[in-house]
Amino acid sequence: MLILRQLRKLNAVQRLQLGVDQSRRTLSDASLQYDKDPQPLFTDAETQRLLQSMTQLQLEKVFRKRTVADNSTETKFMTTAQLEKEFVLTIEKAKKLLQMPPVVQIKKDTERIISKDPALKDFDNSKYVFTDISFGLRPSERKVVVRDVDGTLAYAPLETQKRMNQLYFPLDGRRSYTPRMFSDEQLLQRCLDDHKYEFILDRLTVQYEPYEAEFHNISAKVFTHLNESKQFDLLRSTRHFGPMAFFYAWHRCIDDLLYDMIRRDYLYNGVQLIALSYKIHNVPVEYGKTLSQLEALQPTPAERALEELLSCLKKPSEKGIEQEIQTAIGKTEQDFAADEISLKFIEQYIGSEHALKKVQLELAVQTLKEVNLEKLQLFKGLKKAHGVQAT
Amino acid sequence: MLPLARGIYSSLTQITRNSRAALHTAGALRCKAEPAAETETPADGEENSENTANAAPDPKDRKNVIPVETSIRYLKSAAYKTTYGDEFVWTQYRRNHKGMYAPRKTRKTCIRQGRISTGNPCPICRDEYLVLDYRNTELLKQFISPYSGQVLSYSKTGLCQKSHLRLTVAVEQARDCGLITYDVPFREYDYSEYYGKKEESKQ
Repeated sequence: MLILRQLRKLNAVQRLQLGVDQSRRTLSDASLQYDKDPQPLFTDAETQRLLQSMTQLQLEKVFRKRTVADNSTETKFMTTAQLEKEFVLTIEKAKKLLQMPPVVQIKKDTERIISKDPALKDFDNSKYVFTDISFGLRPSERKVVVRDVDGTLAYAPLETQKRMNQLYFPLDGRRSYTPRMFSDEQLLQRCLDDHKYEFILDRLTVQYEPYEAEFHNISAKVFTHLNESKQFDLLRSTRHFGPMAFFYAWHRCIDDLLYDMIRRDYLYNGVQLIALSYKIHNVPVEYGKTLSQLEALQPTPAERALEELLSCLKKPSEKGIEQEIQTAIGKTEQDFAADEISLKFIEQYIGSEHALKKVQLELAVQTLKEVNLEKLQLFKGLKKAHGVQAT
Repeated sequence: MLPLARGIYSSLTQITRNSRAALHTAGALRCKAEPAAETETPADGEENSENTANAAPDPKDRKNVIPVETSIRYLKSAAYKTTYGDEFVWTQYRRNHKGMYAPRKTRKTCIRQGRISTGNPCPICRDEYLVLDYRNTELLKQFISPYSGQVLSYSKTGLCQKSHLRLTVAVEQARDCGLITYDVPFREYDYSEYYGKKEESKQ
């Protein structure tokens, strides 16, 4: 009993400290909060399509070997038709693994009193919490009510509701206390300095609900740190890339991400990013036409991944010389055409007043242009040498 | 073997070898002539030093606590490299047991009353510079399976029960602090729970 009491005291002290920490954190990061509800813009079909396309789908990264308790594999014999079906299922599975965490507003806690019964005053010296534990309810639908010491019966605050949910229907990986990584500023900073972005964000999704203030604060902190360290590739092809790009577009700091995309030759993604920021801030620039043009030329990430999977079924003799040239250079004729369109769009963006790091971006575009020109010449030369007709 | 113990051992053997040789020559000289007395004195001195070396550190003594920072430095040092090479701390360790099959559990503890109480202490207890602590991630990582991400069993590592308990606690603490990464279970979102009301109103 004594030990229990001690523990309770300790917890209370910890909670107090946490409260202090939180208030400090909100002060320091107040500038990077979503000032209005981002949800309608985020859930918009076009935004979702842009974000998914920007995320890309690298099968190796999505299905990397995870160190989980059970990571057994199954080996099967299959016909080619079965295998093709399995490939389609694999892509579906990958899409599911890339499901983006929702971006919603911070939910304010409202006190909802059911009844006040002064007759019940001092029925006990502690509150009573009643939880509906019937099976199959969603966490948000589960009713949790609190009978206070002074006799009022009210719906439980969000914190208590989450705690009771976790108590009766635990979510895998969530702790009932705040992990020290999130409560201790220094530890979080250390994690950030070690570039463990994906780990932090994964843990954040499990530990907190998307509408909690901590979720917003910590993710904002991660994204700002990422913007400084410029290691965007660590999050590419993970579920957090979409919210990250959305965050940058919302706060008008897409230039570093755009620079990274240009340097890695993901021009199509760059165009999408610019289009997204135009869309969020209602900039009167016509981007729909360029996007639809590019869409016709470029496959979606899912299609590309499926193609990659199917290509390993083909025998090397079946592949024509044209394809061989394409794989050697890494680009098709359509890609070159798409690059031209997207470069035009990006240069237009750099010229406008929305770009902040103009010199850097211009240089990147210039070098990319030179590399692309060389590639195009090589491509044409190889085609000519092999006698493939240019279309 | 431990670097420290090894150092003491080698110095001891050297001393005894030297003194033996010295005694031998001294004996030969004593038969011949009196000036041999001069060569005898250094040999005596060495014998004295042997006694002092024997008395000073007890290799089985574990009373003084070694701070984690020292342990972290030790894991990066050349002394560690020469003792363990590139292998894990526990790979070279073999348990002693009678019969074909090892007992299911390892011994309860290697250290009793601040002294090693066994001839074959476990990989953590035998080297006093290996300190189990959540900050000592380099050491902890050696005991985590690269396949399942779990702490390796004591039947594999040979840790005594007490060390194993301390290891699991330290690993859990390190995970909590984010010093050791692990694969967080995937959380699937039910979007209707977060966006639900808006969609209904649209329809």
